[in-house]
Amino acid sequence: MDKLSAADLTIDVGPTEAGQPLRVTWLGKSADRSPATILAPWFEKLLAEAKAGATVVEMHFERLEHFNSSTITALIRLIQNARNAGVRLVMVYDQNLKWQRLSFDALRVFEKGDDLFQLKAAQP
Amino acid sequence: MNPQSDEFSFIINLPVRNEWRNVDLLRTSVQNCFTAVFADLDGCHAVSMVTGELLENALKYGDWRAADPATVFRLRVVGGKGKVDVSVQNPIANELGGAGKLLQTLEWIASYPSAEAAYRARMLQIAQSEDPMEPSQLGLVRIAYEGNCALRASVDGAILTITATLEL
Repeated sequence: MDKLSAADLTIDVGPTEAGQPLRVTWLGKSADRSPATILAPWFEKLLAEAKAGATVVEMHFERLEHFNSSTITALIRLIQNARNAGVRLVMVYDQNLKWQRLSFDALRVFEKGDDLFQLKAAQP
Repeated sequence: MNPQSDEFSFIINLPVRNEWRNVDLLRTSVQNCFTAVFADLDGCHAVSMVTGELLENALKYGDWRAADPATVFRLRVVGGKGKVDVSVQNPIANELGGAGKLLQTLEWIASYPSAEAAYRARMLQIAQSEDPMEPSQLGLVRIAYEGNCALRASVDGAILTITATLEL
């Protein structure tokens, strides 16, 4: 899986090891007018690869500086698509940053207690 | 500096060219200005997030067919006595829906017991939407929830001004 680079945003994908989560790290800023145009096809490939390898996707946001509300919308659709594909998705955010705490805590409405979607608060 | 102090006051007031890249230029400029004044980094990020979302809204839903949008696209950030008003002014057109949708959104947010409840409800609506390219309309409710802001709008002819007030 290739990393995604677009304007000020980079999404890195760590090396995949058998039995380990696919580690995806967001860096920089996501402030595009229509981020779904770039993110949705990339997410589609990511989910296909995770499903093929029966791998958990662990998405890290701790080093992200900013995202706009259109990016949050793209993430909501990722959560839905991952659930529909039966791919386990974990989002990790920085509990010490108020904006991340507020943004990601709100996404707990999508936790259904079935382990398909999970939020983890990190304290780097 | 203590934001509750009488000496605490500032104004940023500038016309803006209607180019998307200016959103992040201004958002980060506001963040840097506030970081130079306050130790509260969370508060600085909140003001800059509100600025960015209001500017994005104006560019997405404003009427930019006019010859010189810089005369009517304006950002104001005014602070004093423990609060900050972030205002964005932009042209609107009746045939593009005017301010109707925005005013409806403000009423919809106010219909919930809290901004957090409205934000969660909007996220669930987005998740249930069939069209992945449908506009999310999440920006204003994000301002209300994450920015803990009171929102108000005014229309003067073909000019819309929306103001978000943050308590510091």
